[in-house]
Amino acid sequence: MGVSLDVTPESALDHETRDAAPAADVASSAAENVAPTATEAPPPSRRGFLAAAAALALTGGRAVEAQSVRPATPRPGGRGLSAALARPAGPPDLSTQWTDPVARLVRRITLGITREELARAKQLGYSRYLEEQLRPARIDDRACSEFVARTYPMLAMTPEQLFRGDQGAAMTQLQEATLYRAAFSRRQLHERMVEFWTDHFNIWRDAVGYLKVIDDRDVIRAHALGNFRNLLRASAHSAAMMDYLDQNRSSRRSPNQNYAREIMELHSVGVDGGYTQDDVAELSRVFTGWTISGRGIFTYDASLHDFGAKTVMGQSFPATTPGPGLAGKAEGERFIEFLAAHPNTARYLAKKLAKFFLQYDPGQAIIDAAAAAFTRSRGDIPSILRVILDQRVLMAAPAKYKRPFHFVVAATRSLAPAVTGVGLMRQQVDQMGQSLFAWETPDGYPDKLEFWSGLVMQRWNAATALSFANSAAFRVDPAGFRGATAEATAETIIARIFGGEVPPGFRTRLTDYVRPALASDTRIREAVALALSSSQFQWY
Amino acid sequence: MCGHDTGCAEYNALSRRGFMGTAAGIVAGSALASWVPKVVLAQSASSRDVVLSIFLRGGSDGLGMVYPFLDPEYYRVRPTILNPRPDSGLPAAGTPLDGQFALAQPMAALLPAYRNGDLLIVHGCGLQDTTRSHFDAQRFLEVGKARDPNLMTGWLGRHLATIQPMRTDAPLRALGLSSGLQRTLVGAPKTLPIPNPANFGLGGDATTRAARQQWLAEEYTGVEAAVGAPALDALNTIALLQRINFTGYAPANGATYPNTGFGRGMRAAAALIKADVGIEAIQLDIGGWDTHANQGTTTGSMANIMRDLAGSMAAFHADCLTGATPTRVTVVVVSEFGRNVRENGSQGTDHGRGTVFFAMGPGIRGGRVMTQNWQTLNRENLEIGQDLRVTIDHRDILAEIVQRRLGNANLSQIFPDYTPTMRGVTR
Repeated sequence: MGVSLDVTPESALDHETRDAAPAADVASSAAENVAPTATEAPPPSRRGFLAAAAALALTGGRAVEAQSVRPATPRPGGRGLSAALARPAGPPDLSTQWTDPVARLVRRITLGITREELARAKQLGYSRYLEEQLRPARIDDRACSEFVARTYPMLAMTPEQLFRGDQGAAMTQLQEATLYRAAFSRRQLHERMVEFWTDHFNIWRDAVGYLKVIDDRDVIRAHALGNFRNLLRASAHSAAMMDYLDQNRSSRRSPNQNYAREIMELHSVGVDGGYTQDDVAELSRVFTGWTISGRGIFTYDASLHDFGAKTVMGQSFPATTPGPGLAGKAEGERFIEFLAAHPNTARYLAKKLAKFFLQYDPGQAIIDAAAAAFTRSRGDIPSILRVILDQRVLMAAPAKYKRPFHFVVAATRSLAPAVTGVGLMRQQVDQMGQSLFAWETPDGYPDKLEFWSGLVMQRWNAATALSFANSAAFRVDPAGFRGATAEATAETIIARIFGGEVPPGFRTRLTDYVRPALASDTRIREAVALALSSSQFQWY
Repeated sequence: MCGHDTGCAEYNALSRRGFMGTAAGIVAGSALASWVPKVVLAQSASSRDVVLSIFLRGGSDGLGMVYPFLDPEYYRVRPTILNPRPDSGLPAAGTPLDGQFALAQPMAALLPAYRNGDLLIVHGCGLQDTTRSHFDAQRFLEVGKARDPNLMTGWLGRHLATIQPMRTDAPLRALGLSSGLQRTLVGAPKTLPIPNPANFGLGGDATTRAARQQWLAEEYTGVEAAVGAPALDALNTIALLQRINFTGYAPANGATYPNTGFGRGMRAAAALIKADVGIEAIQLDIGGWDTHANQGTTTGSMANIMRDLAGSMAAFHADCLTGATPTRVTVVVVSEFGRNVRENGSQGTDHGRGTVFFAMGPGIRGGRVMTQNWQTLNRENLEIGQDLRVTIDHRDILAEIVQRRLGNANLSQIFPDYTPTMRGVTR
């Protein structure tokens, strides 16, 4: 580990109550050397300054090179070879206009700004709002959970019941419940983590069908803000995962390597985590016997287990006498504990979480700090997030691009529709290419700008479809955006959709679009759709 | 605002002009019944090929598609998923391609293209890097270089970025028939992912459509290129694609595309290429090749996707590549890796190394199976005792096509730090 850091989860919590940190002063004066005034500073420099500020903040003011945090690889937005090869210092970053730390936190840890969410966060302040979101069980979310229980009853079913029921309906209920909760649950950070883990432990719905309903409930949601060890263990006992990665087709005579590979490559230590092809083969022998029975119950079948000697990543499993008990299963349990505690798992998860919450190319300092928190807390997910979501770190993070799921949910949240069903949201996410649980390969949907940024037409049409929604199931009221003047109408749209933070030119353009037909509901819906289609809204 | 990107200002100006110029064309174009473009633009100045690049996602079992039918080891190591000998008289038997290899029965639709000399099969092809991770291998293959975290762009993207456009007025030079742009095309100028070209445009009220397009054009001018450029490309592409009637497209020579996602994609690709609107590259994917279990031979999951692949390629061949004046297209088919030579206990195959690649077109020296030091499938000949060796680097195939068919000599930029061997892929 390169730079030593003194940030602990506890100290990270104290930022608001501390006096102005010396580090911030150092960073400010450093910034003045770079750019005389903020308004004159070209965006790349400003971004560099913020990165440098973060580096200083993280090291308690000790001088380190800005490069240690500054993105080494800017987003691959360059179109054309000159950009691809020369790799400029950084694109103009929208987030530089987002100066309110609380609004910035709301953008990152929720699935979209609403007036109510912003008011709640401002009332609590940065740290207390973050703490509230890190303890979802304490947030009263009855309105959402009662709606889900009433509208999507199949989510509570056993595998046997699901098997006997309408399996297509079960998947639709899971998709729509996911969208409903993302849009309307008050446990917004929990929903962000559900999104994260759903990709991390990706399971393709077409491969496992209704078993994903159980996995979503008992693995992903049960541990989303819990402990990573428990999550990894739960995933390894998920019938859906066993089926998806062919673990239920593995046996002593012919071990299948699919799950053994992916639990290391994707779920824990990462592809560069220090294992070889031999380790994959050996681990597939360790996991023999882990399978499913009945309609989708995880089972250990000792008759399938290979009791011979094995060595995986230096861990020895001596030969034992074959027997019907759980002794053979304990080998796999032991190796899962080994993976969960491995420093490469801490680094891999730290980097992936930093990428999810902060920026596409997080600096090594924050990765190291988050990995240290992972190790120190033995995989406690909130402890890692406290480091990553530290105010000074977050203020230095450039904006990220919303994936289609995030876009549809954020648009819905700002539209505040009257809802009895979210089929419209599901349809839009499907058309934008992020149909839920539909990514075939176990790496999950990409969180990469260049993968999604080309798909603008579907995005614009989704913005129109949602803004014009006027059905009994999903009704958007244009009156809620109307003001007495064109200026007031634009201001309301900007307040509800952007939390008020947009550049002046945008405000003028939106006002100009509203002005010719101020009384028209259609015009207001179009203006809302344009606001949601704007480049401004695509970032968080 | 995009001063760091030297091409950006010029690019935006061009896009903007194109947008204003074509907005009026939408109405006129929509009245046309034919798929032929309403506005007949200048003929392509260049004589180079369009490239249609197909990725078999999941790691294709090359030995399940093209098998060494005289090698007894093949039948021994694949007891439940073997393709029977061509002379066995069994209905599942394949067809000999030469004295050594046979084409699996579900791939039989490709025989006319092969016999016409237009289809080249390359066996034992792939990455030199030995990763068996789908995601690493796909990335290395699409980027055109292994293990370089700083190289983000794809080989086809860099090809397009290092050559003059076929048509300077084209708003769209390449597209991925996909929800997201495939890595292969990342870095290409004027390139978009378009899942369905027949249905591309701004919805809502038709009377305000032009005003809303105008508003969005202003909103996306001067913003970060990664987001601004595709938005402006999209606005310009609306008019372009509306000139082409995809649903009314009639393939030539009685060709029939399978009614599958991939088949419909190949049909749309043919319509786009024949419309001659300046599209230079199209990327398509076909998934489902990760056959760890129940792979089958003439029934089962792999047989179905083989029929889909072969049927779609055969229809494209009949539609575009046969007759007196075939369209100038080169088709390349790649996959991240092959699969173990021996089947596993689930009647499937786990991740392996070498597999088959295909190249098809009037400029391809086809009608043969290209190999390098092919050996029997006995364990001692295999990589770590289990896999078909990669004896032909994928870049040898692609680089020759880039240079000889796509007219781009900048191979050191397209395949950095690699000197390809020209193996006679092209005529």
